[in-house]
Amino acid sequence: MTATRTATFEPVLTKTMSLPDGHTLGVYKKHGGYEGLALALRKTPDEVIDMVKRSGLRGRGGAGFPTGNKWGFVPKSTDKPKYMCVNADESEPGAFKDRLICQKDPHQLLEGTLIGSYAIGAGRAYIYIRGEFAHEARILERAIEEAREAGYVGSNILGSGWSCEVTMYVGAGAYICGEETGLIESLEGKRGWPRLKPPFPAVVGLFGCPTVVNNVETLACVPHIMKRGWEWFAGIGPERNSGPKLYGLSGHVVKPGVFELPMGVSLRELIYEYGEGVPGGRPVKGVIPGGASCPVLRGDEIDLPMDFDSLTRAGSLFGTGTPIVMDDTTCMVRAAWITARFFAHESCGQCTPCREGCGWLQRLLWKIEEGRGEEKDLETILSVTDQIEGNTICALGDAAAWPARGFAKKYRDEFLQHIHEKRCPLSGGSLH
Amino acid sequence: MAAVKVKVDGREISVERGTNLIETAKLAGVFVPSFCYHPGLPVVGVCRICLCELEGRPKLVAGCATGAEEGMRVITRSEKVAAARKAVMEFLLIHHPLDCPMCDKGGECTLQDYTMLMGPSRSRFRFEKLTWPEEDVGGKLVLNKNRCILCMRCVNLCKDVAGLDEIAVLSRGEQTYIGTVDGRKIENELAGNIADICPVGALTSKDFRFKARPWELTNVPSVCQLCSKGCNIMVGYHPRRNQIARHTARTNMDVNQWWICDRGRGGFHQVHEPNRILAPSRKGDRGRVAASWQDATAEIAVALRDIIVRHGARAVGVLGSGTLTNEEQYLTRAIFRDGLGIAHVDFPRRPQKEVVYRKFTIEGDKDPNARGAELCGVTPVQNGLGVRDMVRAAAEGTIKALIFLRGGPLDLFGEPPIVSRALENVELLVVLDMLPSPVSERAHWILPGVSFAEKDGTFTNSKGRVQRIRKVLTLKGDTREDWRILQSLGQALGVYPAKDPDPERIFARLAQAIPAFSGLSYAVLGELGAPIAAATADVAVG
Repeated sequence: MTATRTATFEPVLTKTMSLPDGHTLGVYKKHGGYEGLALALRKTPDEVIDMVKRSGLRGRGGAGFPTGNKWGFVPKSTDKPKYMCVNADESEPGAFKDRLICQKDPHQLLEGTLIGSYAIGAGRAYIYIRGEFAHEARILERAIEEAREAGYVGSNILGSGWSCEVTMYVGAGAYICGEETGLIESLEGKRGWPRLKPPFPAVVGLFGCPTVVNNVETLACVPHIMKRGWEWFAGIGPERNSGPKLYGLSGHVVKPGVFELPMGVSLRELIYEYGEGVPGGRPVKGVIPGGASCPVLRGDEIDLPMDFDSLTRAGSLFGTGTPIVMDDTTCMVRAAWITARFFAHESCGQCTPCREGCGWLQRLLWKIEEGRGEEKDLETILSVTDQIEGNTICALGDAAAWPARGFAKKYRDEFLQHIHEKRCPLSGGSLH
Repeated sequence: MAAVKVKVDGREISVERGTNLIETAKLAGVFVPSFCYHPGLPVVGVCRICLCELEGRPKLVAGCATGAEEGMRVITRSEKVAAARKAVMEFLLIHHPLDCPMCDKGGECTLQDYTMLMGPSRSRFRFEKLTWPEEDVGGKLVLNKNRCILCMRCVNLCKDVAGLDEIAVLSRGEQTYIGTVDGRKIENELAGNIADICPVGALTSKDFRFKARPWELTNVPSVCQLCSKGCNIMVGYHPRRNQIARHTARTNMDVNQWWICDRGRGGFHQVHEPNRILAPSRKGDRGRVAASWQDATAEIAVALRDIIVRHGARAVGVLGSGTLTNEEQYLTRAIFRDGLGIAHVDFPRRPQKEVVYRKFTIEGDKDPNARGAELCGVTPVQNGLGVRDMVRAAAEGTIKALIFLRGGPLDLFGEPPIVSRALENVELLVVLDMLPSPVSERAHWILPGVSFAEKDGTFTNSKGRVQRIRKVLTLKGDTREDWRILQSLGQALGVYPAKDPDPERIFARLAQAIPAFSGLSYAVLGELGAPIAAATADVAVG
């Protein structure tokens, strides 16, 4: 193993998580908590936005959109109230990093939320948390109460004259509510159906008002940018892909979990050094690098930096930066089917290509996995993914099309083996 | 809004900025398909069939949800667009039952039309299709979810036009379906429009289904008769059966936009009532005796003249009707008021509570032409009596002859015993009507008139808009158009010599005689009607 660039990296996001009562205000404050907020409140909102822009922080929810720019789109002169929405609807299979923040360091999220709200001029922030995170929701509720009592939430925060309320909203359990306009609709009490864009939420968002929707981890980075400066943040990781990152590693690794490392850490290093390799020393057959919607990488493609641009160049996606490792016992048809089943189940049903295409993909993949596949089914899979991609209202259609196409292309031989042998060569005869 | 220059497939046109690309393309003479888009409903952009290419943009855009901007270049004839449309068509059909031969929408189904136009001719989907049982959802509609393409039009008609969340989208993914809220029945009276706008055979009209195939019907533009709003309708009739199969909404932005109410939708049933009066008759000693038109008009004229000679014109009361055409109102006035000098000329009104929906009001005045009757002067003159007083005077014996141009229910006048006495006391009771009523039962003479579908003419709605109805059916039995009956009565009485062969010529006289109608003619009215002269709009002609 080569000496790594990460050896000198100092974790900031997870620094206090392992401390006893790390989720409480007392411990958080002892380690510099809410100092970032105090610093931000001494600046103008524009200065805060500028710092975040310069830091190069990109959204950690999957799309990697520059956070400062997103904040900058919110109109300055408007009579309407503005809203900050925290996207804690983490539902992508493979992703469990936001959950850790909510659970272990809720004040870090709250502080970031407040700074973001201040920057965009929001007087109210909503934390939209997925219904299954009941435990985390309780922790966050308590944290909001602590922060309110301490004067970080509510009116005239830290004597600045600026007021902001933070409200929890527990979703009903739908992946699509993590799509920002689906989240907004859900928050308004409607079906979580993504909206047509434009207009974008920065202009017409929650209750028709300017709104920013940010991922949990994104906002957790913000207090550190305030305290340590944008230069510090921008200095971590490759150019245009800066900052510390929580990598959620799962699948066939000895030590799965969340690792805080700089952006751009190599996927191989992540698996073999931090994940301590594959159990039994088995070879890596494939890695889904950033959550289920990202096209799979073959085992021989893992020598690449984990950041937005590198993975896009490699034909996949960085997504939420949460690799799922699969060893050589994994049936890739089955993996593709499980992924397709997820997206078919989570498709909101609003627009035609995704609603109909996802179910079709799922059926085609299961047919091959069951040993009933024909060669033309493989072509149909590729064609159906083409028919979905780019034709839908939101990115869920793309998110369903990419992995199915990825599996079918990268493991074409294995698909054909299923078809020719009329069985799954890896499931040992059992499919359930 | 400013006009912008846009190119659609190379054709440059100028449109208002923000006009969606479906409408923009239409103006440029380019067809962009659409399922979910409807000009009268909120844009949802869900079907994706209207995807268009914009020069300089990598992704296709939904034509319905994209507004025209200066210099925009829209491309609808590219491989990319064709592939996207074909994809949507294939997706929409994977669970579709393809039961066109037994589907009520067959022949006027957008999905069927587009499949013929651009759809794949065979499906690559080789799995069991999702199926759903048929469901009565109320609102005189039947829901067949197998055919539904989830365009949301029905949901948004209820939500946006009626203002009621009676239909909703439920579940998600490919299991998504349209259903009523908590399984309740749809109650709003605009629900019938859903059968018009459903682009497939998912929600069909209980009243129309299995009655006829759309291609067997001839559609004739007309005007609804069930209130004073004057909604524009299409009368779909079966020429071979000489029967109306349905009414559908006809777009008129000045009157009813795209919608009609369910009462109007079923408004043709009275035409086909089995107990229509089919021949003139007189009251004999032992029941009714059929009479020829010639005898009937001649004898009525003699009897009426006789009463006027003996008792004066004030012994005659004429009860007109707000359901007759402007032409017939004009004849009523010309013959009875002007010709015979009868002062007691009036028509009964039937006010009901209006029904107000978010974007559509069913008017409370149930007479389609009360305005026309007022304007033409079917109103009392020289201290003439109104409807109630006429009936009372007849009961007291001062009025000796009553002429009802439509019978109507007895309780219309509030006091049935008085009405009965009036009808029994008079020496001459003449009723011109389509259907038997307690009034016609006692009439000395019954003259069988016809429905709105059996004659030409015009109506004036509550807002003063004059619109045409058209004869679609051949006459039943020995019935005659009301205008023709009135005209021959006028001749027999010697007070109205003109013998016009059609209502268009009567309308020309009316337009000459009555200031409100000046300048109007059938040509001017066209398909969508025209308002009466503005200066007279609020003045009833006395």
